[in-house]
Amino acid sequence: MATIEDKSIFSSYIKKEGLFDEVFDKNGEVKEVYQKLLDLYGTRTIDDYVDLNNKAKSSFFNQGITFQVYGDKQSQEKIFPFDLFPRIISTDEWETIEQGAIQRNIALNHFLWDVYHDKKIVKDKIVPIELLSSSPNYLHQMMGVDPPNKIYNHISGTDIIKHSDGDYYVLEDNIRCPSGVSYVICNRTALKRALFGVFNHYKTHSVTNYAENLLHLLETAKPPGVDMPVTVVITPGMFNSAYYEHSYLAKAMGVELVEGRDLFVENDFVYMKTTQGPVRVDVVYRRIDDLFLDPMEFSPDSALGVPGIFAAYRKGNVTIANAPGTGVADDKAIYTYMPDIIKYYLGEEPILKNVHTYHCSRPKELQYVLDNIKDLVVKPVDEAGGYGISIGNRLTKDEIERVKSEIKANPRKYVAQPIMSLSVHPTYIDQKESFEQRHVDLRTFTVLGKDEQFVLKGGLTRVALKEGNLIVNSSQGGGSKDTWVLKQ
Amino acid sequence: MLSRVANNLFWMGRYIERAEHIARFMNVNYFASLDAPNQLSQSRNFVLQSMLFMVGDPVADPEKELNEEEVLYDLGLNPEKSYSIISSIKIARENANSSRDLISTELYESLNKFYHFVMNYPTETYKKTNLYDFTVNITEITAVLRGKIRGTLLHDEVYAIIMMGVNIERAIQITRIINTKYNDALLAKGSYKDPIGNSYEWTTLLKCAESYDMMRRLYKKTPNGTSTLEFLLLNGKCPRSFMNCINQVHKHILEIDKKVEYSQSSTAFLVGKVKAEFQFKQVDEIMEDIQGNLNMILNKMFKISESMEKEFFNY
Repeated sequence: MATIEDKSIFSSYIKKEGLFDEVFDKNGEVKEVYQKLLDLYGTRTIDDYVDLNNKAKSSFFNQGITFQVYGDKQSQEKIFPFDLFPRIISTDEWETIEQGAIQRNIALNHFLWDVYHDKKIVKDKIVPIELLSSSPNYLHQMMGVDPPNKIYNHISGTDIIKHSDGDYYVLEDNIRCPSGVSYVICNRTALKRALFGVFNHYKTHSVTNYAENLLHLLETAKPPGVDMPVTVVITPGMFNSAYYEHSYLAKAMGVELVEGRDLFVENDFVYMKTTQGPVRVDVVYRRIDDLFLDPMEFSPDSALGVPGIFAAYRKGNVTIANAPGTGVADDKAIYTYMPDIIKYYLGEEPILKNVHTYHCSRPKELQYVLDNIKDLVVKPVDEAGGYGISIGNRLTKDEIERVKSEIKANPRKYVAQPIMSLSVHPTYIDQKESFEQRHVDLRTFTVLGKDEQFVLKGGLTRVALKEGNLIVNSSQGGGSKDTWVLKQ
Repeated sequence: MLSRVANNLFWMGRYIERAEHIARFMNVNYFASLDAPNQLSQSRNFVLQSMLFMVGDPVADPEKELNEEEVLYDLGLNPEKSYSIISSIKIARENANSSRDLISTELYESLNKFYHFVMNYPTETYKKTNLYDFTVNITEITAVLRGKIRGTLLHDEVYAIIMMGVNIERAIQITRIINTKYNDALLAKGSYKDPIGNSYEWTTLLKCAESYDMMRRLYKKTPNGTSTLEFLLLNGKCPRSFMNCINQVHKHILEIDKKVEYSQSSTAFLVGKVKAEFQFKQVDEIMEDIQGNLNMILNKMFKISESMEKEFFNY
C-alpha cells in the first residue's frame, strides 16, 4: 500500500496477473530497456505529472491538434489524449516488425495486381472466388487497370499487437486511407517539449522524416513521361475528423491541400484551379474514400470527388495513392488468408504472425463460432473504426443470443478470432491522477515506392483508456503514446 | 496558390482587421463619452447609437431608448449577429482552418488561441464590467496576429493575398469610422462656434483610428475637421490612412498579378486608378461634399474586392 507521503509516480501501480506488461517482467522487475527511463521518471512526484500533463494538453489544444467525434447530435472538437510515458521498442524487435510489415505490404500489392488482372491466386485455389465476388470493396472498374508503376497500396497502416506469449501479431491491415501518422509526430513534439531531459539518455530514431520520405516515394510512382511531378493531398474538407492530419501532411510535404472542387479534368488530365490559372496535377494523395472519388464512376451524388479523375487514372495520366479498390485486400476476411498470400507471391514464410481466424462463411467454422462465442471476438469484415465489434466474455446472455442471430442472418459479414490479450503499458490516468495498466497496440506506417520501401521508425502506440478495454481507436476513447525505436 | 484557398486567406485577413476596428471603436467611443463636453455626446444612448451606426445596423428612431447591455452584447459576443466581434473571429479562424497547410504554425496557433479566448469569454462579466478588458485584448491580440503574418510567413503570393484583405478592410473600416464620427459631429454640434470644424468628435475619431498621437506630432494643433480628414484620408505616411491602405493594396496586387501590361478590366488597373486619383486629391475637394466622397471611397473599395473575387477566387 502506498502511504500518503509516497507520491512517486509508480507508488500505486498495480500489476495484474496474466497480463503481459511492456515495462515489468513476470517477477515485477523493470525490463532492461525501461530501467533508465524509470530511474528518471522516478525522481518526479505525481504532482509534477499532473502539472506536465495539463501543460501538454493545452499545448495540443492551442495548436488545434484535435479531432471531431461523431455520434452525438453535434460533433465535438476533442484533443487526442496523449500519454507522457513513452513506449520503447528495442532494435531487435523493431527489425522484425519492419521486415514483417514490408513483406506483408509487398505481398498485398501483388495480391491487388492479381485480383484486378488474371486472378491466378483464385485459379490456383488459394483464395476462394466468393471472397472477392461478395466483397463490397471489390471495384470492378479497376479490372485491367494498370496503376503507374504497378503500385496499389502506397501507404499502409499495419496494426500490430503483442500477445501474452510475448510475440507480435498483426491484427489488421489498413490500406485504404490509414490515418494517425500526424499524431506520431505531434506526440514526439509534445514529449520533447515536456520532458526533453529524457532524450539525452536514449538514442531514439527520429519520426519527423515521414513527410519527406512519403513525398519522395509517392513521386517515384509518378505517371510515365512526367519529369517534375506536381503532388497534392486531397481532403474531404475541414469538417472531416482527420482534417488536421491532411493539412499537416500537405504542409510537411510542401504541397497543396486541395478539395474536390479545386480540381477539374480536361482531356483526361487533372488540373487544379489556382490564382494564376490551371496547373496540371500528376500525383494525388487522396484522403477520400473510393466511392466519393469520382461521381462519374462511383457514387453519383458525391460532392467531394473530381468528375473524370478515374478516367484520367485509367489512362495513366495521374497517380492516385492509394489506388482505388485497395479495400478488397484489407478486408478482415482476406486477412485470414494472409499467410497463404505471402507464401504464394513471395515464396517466403510470413515474418509477422497472423491471429487465427474463423470464417463464419464456412459452415464448420460457423458452428465453432456459435458454440464458443464467449471465448471469441466477433467482428464485421468491413467496418472501420472499431464499430460493431463484440467481445465474447464481455457479453450478457441476451447479447450473446443477439450476436448469434446476427451472425446466422449474414455469416459472410462476420469473422471471429480468439480473444487476444493485448499487452499492457503503464499509462497516466487523468481522473485518478495515477499510473495504471492499459492495453496498447501499435500502428505502423509503411510506404511503398518504385523499388523502394520506407517504414516509419516508431508508429502510433494506441492506448485503450477505459480500464480493461481492448478497443484502442480514437473514436472509441483511445489515447496514444510516443513510441521510441532505439538505435543500435 | 489554389483559388479557393486564396479566397479564404483574403477573408481571414479582412475579418481579423474588422474585429480590431470594431473593438477599438467601441472602446474609444464608450470611454470618451463618459466625460464628453456636450450633453448629447455624453449621453449613453448617443454613443450606443453611434456604435450600431458604425457596424451598419443604424437605429431608425434617434429617440429610441437602447439597452446598453444588449447593444454591447450584440457588438461583442453575440454569435447571432454577423457584425459581432465573435462572429468575425469565428470566420477568420474557419478561413485559416481551411488553409492550414499554407499559413505558418505560429500564425495558426495564435489565431486558434485568440478564437478560444473569445469563445470562452464570460458574457455576463463582459456586459457588466469588462468592456475595457475585452476590447483592449482584442486590439492587442490582433496586433500580435499582424506581427505573425508579417514575421512568420514567406512574403510571397500567400502573404500578398492576406495583406490585400487586411488593407482593403482597413480602408473600408477607416472610412466607416470617419463617416460615423462625421455623423456624430453633425448631431452633437452646438458647443463650439464652428460646430463641424471643431467638434470633440474629431479627437475621438483620431483615437478610434489610433492616429491621434501621430496627428499631433505632425500638425501640432488641436485637430479640426479639415486637418483630420486630410490626415486620415490623404496622408500616405499615416499607416491608418486611406492613402496608405490603397498604396499597400497596389503594392500587393502587383505581387499577385505580375503582368507587364494590365488590361483595363483587371484588378491591378482598377487599384492603380484609385491610387492615382487620391494621390492628387486635395482636401478642399473632399470638404465640398464629405458624405459623397466617403460613399465614393467605400464603393471603390467594394468594387476592388468584387474584382478580386472574379479575377482570382473563381473556383
